[in-house]
Amino acid sequence: MSEKPITGEKRAFMTGNEVVAWAALAAGADIMYGYPITPQNEIMHYWTRQIPKYGRKFLQTEDELSAGFTTVGGVLAGLRAFTATAGPGNTLMQEPMSMAEMMRLPTVTIVQQRGGPSTATVIYSQQEVTLTTMGGNGEGLRIVYSPSNHQELFDYTIKAFNTAWKYRFPTFVLGDGYQAKMRESVTLYDPAERGIEMVPTEKYVGKPGTPGVDRDPGHYRNTYNTEEELFEVLQKHFADYEKMAPEVVEYAQEAVEDADLVIVAHGVVFRGVRDAVKELRAEGLKVGYFRPITLRPFPAEQLKAVANKAKKLLIAESAQGQLARLIKDAIYGASAEIVPMFRPGVGITTEQIVAKVKEAL
Amino acid sequence: MAKAVKICLAGEGGQGVQSVAEIIADAANAEGREALYIPNFGVEQRGGVSIAYLQIADQPIGAPKFDKADILVALSDRAVRRCKQYVDENTVYVYDASIEGVEDDLPKEGEAKKVLAIPALEISKNELHPRVFNILIMGAVIGATGVIPVDAAKAAIEKKLGYKFEQNPQLRELNFKAIDRGIELMK
Repeated sequence: MSEKPITGEKRAFMTGNEVVAWAALAAGADIMYGYPITPQNEIMHYWTRQIPKYGRKFLQTEDELSAGFTTVGGVLAGLRAFTATAGPGNTLMQEPMSMAEMMRLPTVTIVQQRGGPSTATVIYSQQEVTLTTMGGNGEGLRIVYSPSNHQELFDYTIKAFNTAWKYRFPTFVLGDGYQAKMRESVTLYDPAERGIEMVPTEKYVGKPGTPGVDRDPGHYRNTYNTEEELFEVLQKHFADYEKMAPEVVEYAQEAVEDADLVIVAHGVVFRGVRDAVKELRAEGLKVGYFRPITLRPFPAEQLKAVANKAKKLLIAESAQGQLARLIKDAIYGASAEIVPMFRPGVGITTEQIVAKVKEAL
Repeated sequence: MAKAVKICLAGEGGQGVQSVAEIIADAANAEGREALYIPNFGVEQRGGVSIAYLQIADQPIGAPKFDKADILVALSDRAVRRCKQYVDENTVYVYDASIEGVEDDLPKEGEAKKVLAIPALEISKNELHPRVFNILIMGAVIGATGVIPVDAAKAAIEKKLGYKFEQNPQLRELNFKAIDRGIELMK
């Protein structure tokens, strides 16, 4: 029953949704809770197809509010639990995820962004950046990874479970409809064979022993009576988050040292940026890139250093400035001029980036 | 830097453009090359133009979609109209010779590298079998681009349809004939 889903390194050619399901299996996820919404449906399809062999579980709920809260419940019971959603589903998901922030619950959520606002398109966008990083009635006490290819989708889905359980903040993998539906190669592996140890889970409720006698009572709250009490609890959460941030922050940069212009992009848009920089450098133009891999916490200091050297930052995103808002907050006071390339709800090609850089230089 | 070969296949639902793209991508991957295939998808269950975007390269592929195709295959009048945006002077433009009423929508002299009308529908109907129409198209794509060797294409078809060939070996022959005939069309 508990045989390993993957042994050895397996090169595969599949959709991103399938990659996520395999990653969750490989990470030892116990249960997925979910409600169907395009373009993430196949995550639950592939998950449910595979799990009978490995003794894992699935619960389809009546909506995303319920999917989020049952994920919270799974985590409280000590299960490595996850959910997946998109678009309007992500909107509903914010209430349970706020609870996970308040109670420091290590939920894992995969988001495959589609066009917005509202139902809009089922296809693609990067318009769920604000929602996923800062959604809910809270302070964004969460971790958000933005992968750009299938390998990263696999790697960071596994990593999300470990980051969540190590630091006890809700963790998100922010993909998109393109990554969900496209097929490309990926190498699947068992984390243990690569020396990746899965952080053990722990029950919050139903622990053995008598509370107050054998162990401290479990006291998990999302309701507070006084302003001061809440303030105090939040200070501790902020301190933990700040301490964690340098250990969790990830980014990539290239050719920024002498660059006149640095392109900033995340997720699938970064793929075109990487090629554009290669092309522009080959033409002798001083262009580099900076790519945040974690959107929350954001690699603020690292980008600010770049923004104090380069003359211009070109921000390319499939949204109307959602990444730009994170950037402006991070680099406030830096000298670089910001050049927007906002294409909400549509893809950005290498050719378009090259043309935009040449216009901006 | 050798760029990816960019292929755009467009037709009506049921003409099989998605499975053609998937088989070619699979074959290229099996050959150890980088391949990326993404379908267009939307809320319509039927009735839309089906487009497959396919890229094959020797290094990691950039953006999943592209502005201009190296080869574009349009299999219906609506596909011809929908895909105008993917054509420039470097595009090899292939369309089925039986499509009517698109004279004004096809690339004019100088707007594409080459414009080729191929009698794929007619050949599949009269010489082969209508069900191998998409495999004939697959042959045409391989013939035009050389992105994968014909043996790799046949191996990928075997992988995808092998279970059907078990029951009916004639089907295998028919499919392989369609591939060869498709390649021949582009010579």
